[in-house]
Amino acid sequence: MADIKQVVLERNLNPYHSFFSSFFAGLAELGMINQGSINIVSKRAAEYLYSYLEAKEILPDLGAVPGDTPTEVAKNLILYINKILSLVGEYDFKDAEDGMAVLMIAGNTCRICPKGVGGAEVKGTLCPIPTLIENLVNRIAQKDLLELVTSGIEKEGSTCKAYFKVLN
Amino acid sequence: MAQTIAAQLDKTLNDFERNVPHVQATAVVSTDGLVIASRLPSDVEEDRIGAMGAAILSISTRSGRELERGEMVRVLIEGTEGYILIRSVGEYAILVALVEKEVRLGLLFYEAKKCIQLLREIL
Repeated sequence: MADIKQVVLERNLNPYHSFFSSFFAGLAELGMINQGSINIVSKRAAEYLYSYLEAKEILPDLGAVPGDTPTEVAKNLILYINKILSLVGEYDFKDAEDGMAVLMIAGNTCRICPKGVGGAEVKGTLCPIPTLIENLVNRIAQKDLLELVTSGIEKEGSTCKAYFKVLN
Repeated sequence: MAQTIAAQLDKTLNDFERNVPHVQATAVVSTDGLVIASRLPSDVEEDRIGAMGAAILSISTRSGRELERGEMVRVLIEGTEGYILIRSVGEYAILVALVEKEVRLGLLFYEAKKCIQLLREIL
């Protein structure tokens, strides 16, 4: 694992990022969680977060969310979610082939990765972001806007990618 | 014409279920808890079977090593209504079977071993 000081400073982590990523790293190293279980609990977390945003009265006004296409609307909702949760530094969400959209995250700017930040030494991925985004965007949009196609995140070099079907 | 991997996996799981009376459901999942193939009743959530099966095998494997019990052969969970059998299929996959209480365990273990050999060849 990279030097913790370097990760903390370069990725601009807050204490909750450190706690979250290292906590899940520990569970993963004990064999208690995997990508499959992270997908399931991320869905639950999305529901909880929606209730949190509702309670705090900080849900975006759906009529005011800019975007001429469903992908642009989803992109702006992802922007909003990332502002609230500060999940990643650099990312993009754009149209891909076959009516899909792709979320591309610069891996070295992710703040909640149980592996890259928390230091989990396990095989496979442990990314909560795709399922969280899918479910929270849909919950906020009050309709099925995104359908996650990949079963988690796919690593391509230093980029982490998740593909979504964009629904009208 | 050659069968797809999905079709081959489905056939192997189907044969396993036919050879062992009282096997109710089967799944092949990746070690990170994602379902590769399954023959599950509609009321069983596939995602949960995958995630839990992989986690149980992973914890069991780790426990076996930490407590010096050697390499994991199988995990058998016995409930009042039946069993859950979990076995590793090579390095990247796992077989999960939901079995009724009336099963002959010797037959189950024997056929599971055969099934795993076939699954390894496919994967």
